[in-house]
Amino acid sequence: MTGLLAIGLLFAASMAIGVYGVRATRLTTPDFLVASRRVAPGWNAMAIAGEYVSAASVLGLAGLMLKNGIGSLWYAVGFTAGYVAVAALVAGPMRRSGAYTVPDFADYRLGSQTIRKLCAVIVLVIMWLYLVPQFKGAGVVLHLVSGTPYWVGVVLAGSVVTASIAAGGMRSATYVQGFHYVVKLLFIAVPAIFLIVHAGDDARQEALRMDVSEWSRPLLDLEGSGQPLLATWSVLLATTLGAVGLPHVIMRFHTSATAAVARRVAVGVIVLLGVFYLFPAVYGLLGRVFTPGLVRGGDTDTVTVVLPGEIVPGGWGSVLTAIVAAGAFAAFLSTSSGLLMALAGGLSHDLSRASVPRLRLAVAAGALVAVLLSLPARSVDINVAVGWAFAVAASTFCPLLVLGIWWRGLTRAGATAGLAVGVLAATGAALASVLTDPGPGWLVVLLAQPAAWTVPLAFMVMIVVSLLGRPPEWAERAVLRLHAPGPAAAE
Amino acid sequence: MSGAPRRVRVTSPQTRIALSRRHRPAQHLLPLPVPGSEGDEELAAARALFHRQRRLAARTLGALGLLLFGLSGLLGGLTVLGRVTAWGFPVSWLLLMGASYPLLLVIAVLHVRAAERIERE
Repeated sequence: MTGLLAIGLLFAASMAIGVYGVRATRLTTPDFLVASRRVAPGWNAMAIAGEYVSAASVLGLAGLMLKNGIGSLWYAVGFTAGYVAVAALVAGPMRRSGAYTVPDFADYRLGSQTIRKLCAVIVLVIMWLYLVPQFKGAGVVLHLVSGTPYWVGVVLAGSVVTASIAAGGMRSATYVQGFHYVVKLLFIAVPAIFLIVHAGDDARQEALRMDVSEWSRPLLDLEGSGQPLLATWSVLLATTLGAVGLPHVIMRFHTSATAAVARRVAVGVIVLLGVFYLFPAVYGLLGRVFTPGLVRGGDTDTVTVVLPGEIVPGGWGSVLTAIVAAGAFAAFLSTSSGLLMALAGGLSHDLSRASVPRLRLAVAAGALVAVLLSLPARSVDINVAVGWAFAVAASTFCPLLVLGIWWRGLTRAGATAGLAVGVLAATGAALASVLTDPGPGWLVVLLAQPAAWTVPLAFMVMIVVSLLGRPPEWAERAVLRLHAPGPAAAE
Repeated sequence: MSGAPRRVRVTSPQTRIALSRRHRPAQHLLPLPVPGSEGDEELAAARALFHRQRRLAARTLGALGLLLFGLSGLLGGLTVLGRVTAWGFPVSWLLLMGASYPLLLVIAVLHVRAAERIERE
């Protein structure tokens, strides 16, 4: 009951901030999509971190750690390292281009409607891959704290996110997400410290016990392949470069005032993420001592919510459970709303003409599809599905943006070929990994986390096909403009 | 018998760009400069700036790759790090959980400072 109450309060607070945001908004299309670039840098970094720290970080990381071992923390390292790449490669130039979305950027740099539409389709693929595990997390947590069937949580999360986004757009989402970062950090960190104190000396020693088992190995493995280094590198490649190409993250940088501010915001995000990622590990380490039963049951994604009740029985335990559950809900709410914004952008801004009513309709349609996809996805590990979303982004938009910004030779044909090859290879491998089981070995890694080969492949196809053609005469100017500081860049 | 000269379509450089882009780009996108509006010197300066930024980005990316692949390779190769403990933690866990984030921050801060210095000059 306390759990439901805490989640209810969180909803109410999010809605209140959302409504305040609506009143502060004039609601033109740029306002709705990117808040007309008047968001303060501090809020912006918090909103990015709030949007980025999803169910994968709050629930999935501890769950995967409990299941597969300490090496799962490489996911967190990769999620954070992504922002180094963002600060170095895309934040400033993307802000200067004036593009709201990746398809917009394709339009600026390559001037092609076909690529714009192809990009919009890829946005949808990434967003749905990313939304499904969020809604799955909502269903599982609500089931745990209130006993409602799995589908109720999924449908509820879908409708709440749709309603708040459709009402206010990006402007209110910025404040809601900044607020959610604080909620997530506090609601995960405070119970974590409480649990460490209450676990007792023996349990603390046991949690830090290093043994010869695979659990203690500081590398991660995928599906028992027996190739931990390859698996770790593939996950690192996907998460780091995937962050560069995530459409909802890229969109956030356009709310910065200038390119220099956008770069600094990316650095701020690294700090916020580094602080946050200290805490999921606590739940993973203690979970190994207190809730080993979850590994056999297969529901390891619930460890963060189950653990407080196991360590602190009685009233305090249920209060802590409620706090953590509310933190987890903040995670899917904020990530899902950011994803839906980008999805709505993809559906209406890029595939047809944008207007605010149509964006609202697109939000609802996008959420509906994600809810329908989430219903049968209960057994998929949150982090594995999120890893696929990152792999697709790393194999499509990452090469498009990096080559588009740093190489004048990129041509329409090259970009189209690379995008098509990247999205087909990455989603094809993920599908194959669901449908088949090739047994231990490197092949299972290359299917379960395909970034190790799909990212180099996509880069190579883009470069080789571009070299076969000739870039248009204005290509160099379009590139140089992205790096020109000062008023010439219309900041 | 050469007759009237062939008709030639005369367009301004800006129109040629617009036509070669085939459609009008969205209003909020950065407009492309008109060819010839900037002098050779300006163009050379913009190129130099671009190349400096690109070298910097490549260096930063190299450092990032070295940190990520180096650290994971180190932890995978030196299993002895798991048997040594510091402050009660196995050293390999400490490196994975604690060392990576500050180093990532250092790489990013150094990059941003260098990039802003290049832009100021």
